[in-house]
Amino acid sequence: MNLNEKARSLLTRNQHLLTSVCLSAFLLLVAAFRAPQLFSSSGIGSAIIVLAPLVLASLAVTPIVLAGRGGVDLSVGPLLGFLNVTLVAWLVEYGYSSPTYVIVYLVGIGVLYQIIIATIIIYVRVSPIIVTLSAYLVLTGVNLVILDRPSGVAPEWMFDWGNGATVFSPVFFVLCGMIVLWAIFSRTAFYQQILLTGGEERMAFASGVNTVGARFGAHAVAGVYTAMAALCYTALIGSGDPTQGSTYTLSAITAVVLGGTSLAGGRGGGLGSILGSICIYLISYVLATFNFGTVSGFVTQMSTGVVLVMSLLVNSAISRPAGETK
Amino acid sequence: MIMFNYLKDTPTIQKISINRSVLFGIGLLIFLSIAGTLLVPQFGSYANIRSMLLLAAFLGLASLGQTLCALLGGLDMSIPYVIGSSNILLAALLNWGVPWLPACLIVLIGGLAVGILNGVLSFRIQGQSLIMTMGVGLAVVGACQILISTGSVYGGTVLGTVPQWLRDVSSIAGTTFGLPIPPIVIIWIVVAAIVVTAMAKTSFGRSFYAVGGNRLAASRILISEYRMWLIAYAISGGMSALTGMALLGFSGGGFVGVGDPYLFTTIAAVVIGGTSLMGGWGGYGSTIVGTLVLTFLTTLLVGLGLSYAMQQAVFGLLIIPIVAFYARDRSIGDQI
Amino acid sequence: MEVCNSMSDTQNQVQISRVVKRFGETIALDDVSLTISPGEVHAIVGENGSGKSTLAKTMSGVLRPDSGLVTTFGESPRDPMHARALGVATIFQEILVAETLSVADNIFAGADSLWKRARSRAEANQKSRSILKQFSGLDIDPNTPVQQLPLSVKQWIVIARALLSNPRLLIFDESSAALDLDATTRLHAEIGKAREVGCCVVIVTHRIAELVRIADRATVLRDGRVVDELVGKNITKSNLLRSMSGKNVAIDAKVAAESMLGRELGSVVLSARALRVDRDAPPFDFDLHAGEIVGVAGLDGQGQTDFIRAAAGLISSHSGSISVAKPQGLGFAPIDAKTSGVAYVSGDRAHEGIFPNLSIFENFALPLYRSTFGEYGWIKRRQIQRAFDGEVKRLSIKTGRTSNLITSLSGGNQQKVLIGRAFAAGPKIIVLDDPARGVDFATKRELYTQLKEFVHEGGAVIYLSSEIEDFFDFADRVLVFRQRIPFRTIPAIRFSEHAFLAAMFGESEEAEMSFERVGAA
Repeated sequence: MNLNEKARSLLTRNQHLLTSVCLSAFLLLVAAFRAPQLFSSSGIGSAIIVLAPLVLASLAVTPIVLAGRGGVDLSVGPLLGFLNVTLVAWLVEYGYSSPTYVIVYLVGIGVLYQIIIATIIIYVRVSPIIVTLSAYLVLTGVNLVILDRPSGVAPEWMFDWGNGATVFSPVFFVLCGMIVLWAIFSRTAFYQQILLTGGEERMAFASGVNTVGARFGAHAVAGVYTAMAALCYTALIGSGDPTQGSTYTLSAITAVVLGGTSLAGGRGGGLGSILGSICIYLISYVLATFNFGTVSGFVTQMSTGVVLVMSLLVNSAISRPAGETK
Repeated sequence: MIMFNYLKDTPTIQKISINRSVLFGIGLLIFLSIAGTLLVPQFGSYANIRSMLLLAAFLGLASLGQTLCALLGGLDMSIPYVIGSSNILLAALLNWGVPWLPACLIVLIGGLAVGILNGVLSFRIQGQSLIMTMGVGLAVVGACQILISTGSVYGGTVLGTVPQWLRDVSSIAGTTFGLPIPPIVIIWIVVAAIVVTAMAKTSFGRSFYAVGGNRLAASRILISEYRMWLIAYAISGGMSALTGMALLGFSGGGFVGVGDPYLFTTIAAVVIGGTSLMGGWGGYGSTIVGTLVLTFLTTLLVGLGLSYAMQQAVFGLLIIPIVAFYARDRSIGDQI
Repeated sequence: MEVCNSMSDTQNQVQISRVVKRFGETIALDDVSLTISPGEVHAIVGENGSGKSTLAKTMSGVLRPDSGLVTTFGESPRDPMHARALGVATIFQEILVAETLSVADNIFAGADSLWKRARSRAEANQKSRSILKQFSGLDIDPNTPVQQLPLSVKQWIVIARALLSNPRLLIFDESSAALDLDATTRLHAEIGKAREVGCCVVIVTHRIAELVRIADRATVLRDGRVVDELVGKNITKSNLLRSMSGKNVAIDAKVAAESMLGRELGSVVLSARALRVDRDAPPFDFDLHAGEIVGVAGLDGQGQTDFIRAAAGLISSHSGSISVAKPQGLGFAPIDAKTSGVAYVSGDRAHEGIFPNLSIFENFALPLYRSTFGEYGWIKRRQIQRAFDGEVKRLSIKTGRTSNLITSLSGGNQQKVLIGRAFAAGPKIIVLDDPARGVDFATKRELYTQLKEFVHEGGAVIYLSSEIEDFFDFADRVLVFRQRIPFRTIPAIRFSEHAFLAAMFGESEEAEMSFERVGAA
């Protein structure tokens, strides 16, 4: 009976994973039939290299979404791009490219940036969408000013990160490390405070939850994950690219939504975002196995849109209380 | 910025602050004109003014729907995608030999349909209208490109001849009944006049303000929030389609990326004009001012040698202080 | 209980001194001072809008007073987090829960600091389960999302959250509204336990019977001011009622008798059959006649609000029918808010009345645009201006410039604009939902005069009020709602403050007569 109950509680807790689990299982099945090379060592290896920045970017968006107020970080992509181009154009250029410098720099700037954003959201009380939208515009512009076209090289120690011939690449370890870190983070009291703040901010505030601290913290975590996403992204492309980083905003948000995290806040989690990212990768991977020729890019675009709309609808249907009649 | 505290509290003065946001915008326009004339040669030349008006007309038409959505507290992020889709769709239809009138009608109806779809899907989850409309937009633009490119070697662009009349409508050198003003500018002026009048003088227009100001009170006097929401998104879709078609005449060839700049500039025009994204305050008149400010500013920045990227950054930096000025959220303690 | 105001005592007491709190132009708390000692159950009583909830929020740190000081065990709470650290736990009127989170998460919200858990998840789960079993008698899985639970359990969750925080000051703001009688008794037992361990307990309520049973001290608020403080045995129903209403109750009956003068009831204009306000409520019938003013009263949440909204055609009733007489005696048609000629005026102006972004004139004119000129039509301003000027004159609205925002008017004048727009639509029935909330006495009088005129001309009025005295000299009969049906209908001739209160609290008429000599006779 106890076991049964535990299973039930596990189920109710993870209801939001329904879409992403089903979809990824289905896609894996299709992939197994159409392109079994995915499951080879190099197949998995390159999948991890490509997936890592997306997984980390979607994990970066997750705490901010969980903290509520309709806060979606639209600027996650441009921030990732900013860290990528400044790493290439400044740190490597001026010789501060040792791993320590690079990681301290990325995490420091990522967190600092998010703290500034959080300050504006909390104290100026401008809605998060507007703040991150403005930040998107600013960073997109700044990125192009720093680096007007794809150029530069990644730090030397990163050169062999991006080939993905084996499963156990350095990117794999970074990704695993960050996922483990997330697992720890999601078991802390701090994570709980973020969920409470996002679930019903008025309740949390009135019950004495440190809502301001939780919101700042959520943004700081986002900064750390964006920094690591930028690291993996730099490893993936091996250079600096001022525009491609911005595209991560849309895929990261799609991954979060697909993972069942409610954009209204307080519901969802990192596992969903990881599964959502995997789904996005698999969608384009599976679609690539069909011979769409020139339109394959458009098929991907369309399916991203359809998946986004569908998962939003499924989410809102699940999260509506059963007995609600009004 | 001295007016900050003065304006914030008393509601009587807030009324004036709306007018002030327009006055502020007009002041900014005058400032930009003077700065432009002094700093950029040819800024005040007739050719330059004409090209600024032309660009403002495209942005102004595209921002109409965004303004209506914002008045209700929503956002439409599908605008760039619908612009891009209608742009290439019209080019393709004309290429396939469809006569221009049915072709334009098909595109327009398509735009309206996408708008209605946006409205239906996002009404229940209004807080997420931004992501929802973006999803719809992506799906539409993907589908459109598949439709057009199937069997063709080009992706995303449609080469072919654009009829001369359409080129004339949106060309800088275009004339209207002998007047040396591009027809699209005249179209914008007419649309703007109709919209501004309708928003002020018809119960239809006032209903937007009623719903945006107080949903429950609006439903108590039997104004359907759902209907207004659908209409706003439908108009947004329709106007995006119109803009996309007009841009085809301007560029001379179908290109799906033609709408991309309008993703943020429509929102920027709305916000800089002084329309609150939380609904109820502002209007198309404000957006016209916002549009002109953005266009003047762009021209000035270009004249000063700033890249497109830096222009975007400047727009971004403008938005937060302006929203902080007009539309701050309530503090949490006041909501319990 | 000995109370001396030496310095050492401020460490153990809650002191509120000269607190003022304004919301815009209304003063919610006006120079309020009181002291709550440990081991004392201190009730704060008052009618709706007397400022009692605002006082509770000020004590819990949610609102900061505009002036004056709240000192809780020696310190002033800056925000709810600080208040919690000082040992303040509040159960707010609104049942605040995070619907998507689990029972345990909700119960222990605010217990942990940002970095450190106060207890393990297993312990939290086990404690949640046992305390809910103890309170509600139900065995609830602590992992269940709260949205799946009934309202009464949510109420217990909120109470458990407060009690488990080991409070030194416990504030209940109308927190037994969702509980039935048996549950209320259990809640009182918990309050008793808290008192025994030296906790300061504040109960904000208008359930008089409840506080007579448990309060050691009662502070009575009226219009944001402390008007009375009763101690121990002096806390009786009659004393409380007298202080709350501030009226000499004896006058009431005399005035009441005059209200029927010169009125003749016409035919039935609105008729409800087998109406249920919600799924579990029993059905009832109701008829409204032309030329009649029907009052509606009841404690909060007894179904009266749903009833009048259904009568205005705004919401559909859960079952049964409401129909409205067709013109020229052509029988009845189901109510339709668009065509039935029913106008609705709400006293909750901010929520469902005014459009804060529009001018005075537009707030008046908006519904007329549609009814007069079609749904999307051109506005003929001159025509509406005439109607507007007429109503402004008739209701003597002080408008200033009519293009000013509606929010530039005082609450009373805002309300007059809303009433004016209801009249201007030319209705046959006007339904008013507590329209006199926060409106001064003179304005109220004018409103009654207008409504009486309206019924003299053959109209009918349904008038919900939270203030009993509103009905005297005005209504022809009053339906008092209790447990989601009209518990008792009181005709004008029997109006008395106590007749209403007895009906609201579900006591028999005889019982009411015995404890106070003032009656209808």
